[in-house]
Amino acid sequence: MTDLLIVGQGFTGLFAAVLAAQRGARTTLIAAGRGGLSLSHGCIDVRRGGASPNDLRALPADHPYRIADPAGLPDALAAFHVISAKAGLVYRGALGEDLRLTTALGGIHTTCLAPESLARGRLEDTLPTTIGDIEGYRDFSAELAVRNLARAGIEVVRSVSLPLIGEAPRRDLYAHDLALRFDDPDWRTELARAWKPRLGGVRRLGVPAVLGLRHHPEAIDSLEERLDLRLFEIPTLPPTVPGLRLERALRQTALTAGVRLIEGARAVGLIDGRRGGRRVSGVVAQSAGGPRSYPSPAVLLATGGVLHGGLVARQNGRIQESVFDLPVTHPGARGLLTSESAFGSQPFAKLGLRLDRRMRPLSESGGPFFENLYAAGGVLAGSDRAIEGTRQGIDILTAHRAVECALGEGSA
Amino acid sequence: MDAATISTQLLVIGGGATGLGIAWDACLRGLKVILVEQGDLGQGTSGRYHGLLHSGGRYVLSDPRSASDCASENVILRRIVPQAIEDTGGLFVTTPADPPDFADSWISACADTGVAAEEIEVERALTLEPLLNPRISRAFQVGDCSLDSFDLLHWLANAVRDSGGQVLLRNRVEAFELSHGRVVAASIVDVRSGLSRRIGAEMVINSAGPWARSVAELAGIRLPVALSKGSLIAMATRLVHTVVNRCRPPQDGDVIVPVGTVAVLGTTDFEVDNPADHSIQDWEVDRLMAEGEVLIPSLAEHRALRAWAGVRALYRPPKNAHEVTRDLPRAHAILDHAASDGCEGMISIVGGKLATFRLMAEGTIDLVCHKLGNTATSRTALQILGPSPRQYHSLPTRLSEYESGQTGNPSILCECELATRIGLERSILDDHAQTLDDSRRDVRLGMGPCQAAFCGYRAAALAPPLDPESPVDGGYRDFMSERWRGVRPLAWGQTLSQFELGRRISLELLGADTLPEDSS
Repeated sequence: MTDLLIVGQGFTGLFAAVLAAQRGARTTLIAAGRGGLSLSHGCIDVRRGGASPNDLRALPADHPYRIADPAGLPDALAAFHVISAKAGLVYRGALGEDLRLTTALGGIHTTCLAPESLARGRLEDTLPTTIGDIEGYRDFSAELAVRNLARAGIEVVRSVSLPLIGEAPRRDLYAHDLALRFDDPDWRTELARAWKPRLGGVRRLGVPAVLGLRHHPEAIDSLEERLDLRLFEIPTLPPTVPGLRLERALRQTALTAGVRLIEGARAVGLIDGRRGGRRVSGVVAQSAGGPRSYPSPAVLLATGGVLHGGLVARQNGRIQESVFDLPVTHPGARGLLTSESAFGSQPFAKLGLRLDRRMRPLSESGGPFFENLYAAGGVLAGSDRAIEGTRQGIDILTAHRAVECALGEGSA
Repeated sequence: MDAATISTQLLVIGGGATGLGIAWDACLRGLKVILVEQGDLGQGTSGRYHGLLHSGGRYVLSDPRSASDCASENVILRRIVPQAIEDTGGLFVTTPADPPDFADSWISACADTGVAAEEIEVERALTLEPLLNPRISRAFQVGDCSLDSFDLLHWLANAVRDSGGQVLLRNRVEAFELSHGRVVAASIVDVRSGLSRRIGAEMVINSAGPWARSVAELAGIRLPVALSKGSLIAMATRLVHTVVNRCRPPQDGDVIVPVGTVAVLGTTDFEVDNPADHSIQDWEVDRLMAEGEVLIPSLAEHRALRAWAGVRALYRPPKNAHEVTRDLPRAHAILDHAASDGCEGMISIVGGKLATFRLMAEGTIDLVCHKLGNTATSRTALQILGPSPRQYHSLPTRLSEYESGQTGNPSILCECELATRIGLERSILDDHAQTLDDSRRDVRLGMGPCQAAFCGYRAAALAPPLDPESPVDGGYRDFMSERWRGVRPLAWGQTLSQFELGRRISLELLGADTLPEDSS
């Protein structure tokens, strides 16, 4: 038996599953793919340029923060803090206090909470900084970061190239490959010996975020000790190791808490025909073994947006929600879904499901489609998260709120 | 302005296939040649086509001369640039949407124009091309094939340089100097440095494609040219292995060309005013997809990768003044301005197809030689181009380079297209690529399914140490913006998902929108 069925194992789905299970709900999580955490910098962005409760209350009424009520954000973030810390991931920062971090391109990432190893690189800190890249690792260039930081008026002392030891790799390495090497204490000791001569006088060193996956805190601590400097990490191209660490932590916490995880299955919504079609009765999971139905008294969609398949854009400009085929309203013509600038806001990114105050998708007439269907995260309308810098804040708040509502604890 | 003067016999304006072909032909006849091109090799019309080396079949009824020219040149080009050609073969098929009686008149016109065509069983055509509409009623095999113009242009430029000619990229003609009704020199400006030079020449050839009109205007000449824009779509997979044509009169969306790992849907045709109008309208995309679906009914299930547009310069003499561009003849015209405009020393060449560039060059230099009293004859039909180290049109070439360990480690910058670090370095150091987009034309960087979402950053990191003049961000933002231009018209399905992935990397991981505005 299941009390809550969640579709999607991205950040929103995993976090919601942990919350629900910790409240004692029997929770089933169905996922078609892997979710988006391997694309995440691992930080919790709440909002670039103003994340105070007043700032969030001033957003448009259809913004996900307004729908879910930003007053719940401190509680939701506190829950995240506790869950991540228990799983061994320490986050730094506080709501309303921006952390500014450098990116691999020398841009500036403004965030709210950052994993300890990233937060140590905060630009507010005046400790002289060196950025180092790893020879042969093409996904991170210290020189490029330093040049762009300098142009923005942020002086980083220098860039340095650090050797990679051991057998020459037979293919190009990704962040994940390197992180697995850093998990090995003997290899790390050797590496520290090879790095040391190039790091004379360096007090704080930023490197690509590859310093271990399973044994991440030990990897950093032991390197800091051997190199006698402060280390911090800078996320770079996917798969991003800080995102993978968070994914691993949430998955393990969810499984330990008793969440039933069904992977590789695409969910198709089931509507209960008995009561005038006012309720959903679960989903059918389509997987390699054939279709199988999973009944549930409540369903939470955490399927993501256009990137992850929760929303599908058609050639004719229509957008479909992919589990229950809920209508997504928007201007229509395909040409209106995009804008010219690759780095500006994109209209399609704001499309998605509109919800009532209890996190239920709304029909055009203004009432919820179904009494017991809820949604959270990237599938919601109203925010271009990439531009606003709101992605994880929305995920956390809406997951937190949707779980409350779905389990009948939230007030209307 | 105290501009330095250099002098030459022949000044060729425009570095597309036509201009480079002209320069090459002239060099082989012993003429002293300078060619100026305002952009990079392949940045204009020659680099913006569908990759089809015509058999001539498309034009047998509408434009027989062009059909015959294509047919004979097809045979010659297979001989002289075999490395740039993939011999895919071609099909003309009658779908239920095509006029059923067209095929009979078409096949007899093929015979009249010398275009080789042979009818085959429908079953056989469907075996060759399993995705093809099973309701086709007739099928004909022709000699179409695919021709990589980026490689072709590199070889031509190398051949010109090897035989003593000069190719000056990123140089634009600003003005002509006339003396007693004769063009005697041109003033050209280096687009990057802004420095001007004067080139004295015995003859000037205007082969600037869509820009030929404005070049001629500099000499006070009005060229009878109509500009016609064509848009194309590359599908992300190679849906066909043969060039597949609709057997009907030329119309929008009548061909699918296999090019390397993709299949290109071509082409629309409508008149524009601006030679740089590379915009792509939603209706063009929808028409190409709809027409493509007639040939391949499952087309909509496949991912569209990228759209682009090119501008053709078609010859439109006064007698054709009221014809729409689609109906204008494709055959080329060599205009001797001494005869038509009383302006000595200048020839313009307009119209034609990429498939006929060599023939156009031969005719142009025949006229030049006649005027200069040079009796040499053209040798381009006999001279094999290359061999050249650069052959990037085929994935196997790049794969074998990688497999044989020639590429060092780390080796691959762009997983989609197997563009290597060494390849990019060569394009910057040897080919003087000045932007990542220039390198793209050399090594196919960022042309695959992810459209530079990953390799854009890697390539941007490589450029600054090699070229001190490159922007602080290594050209990252310009390159990504250019990639978006060709993806935006196809913003649906997986194509939109893929863009959103790249956007998240750019904005959320790299913070590209937080860099200072001016990066030069």
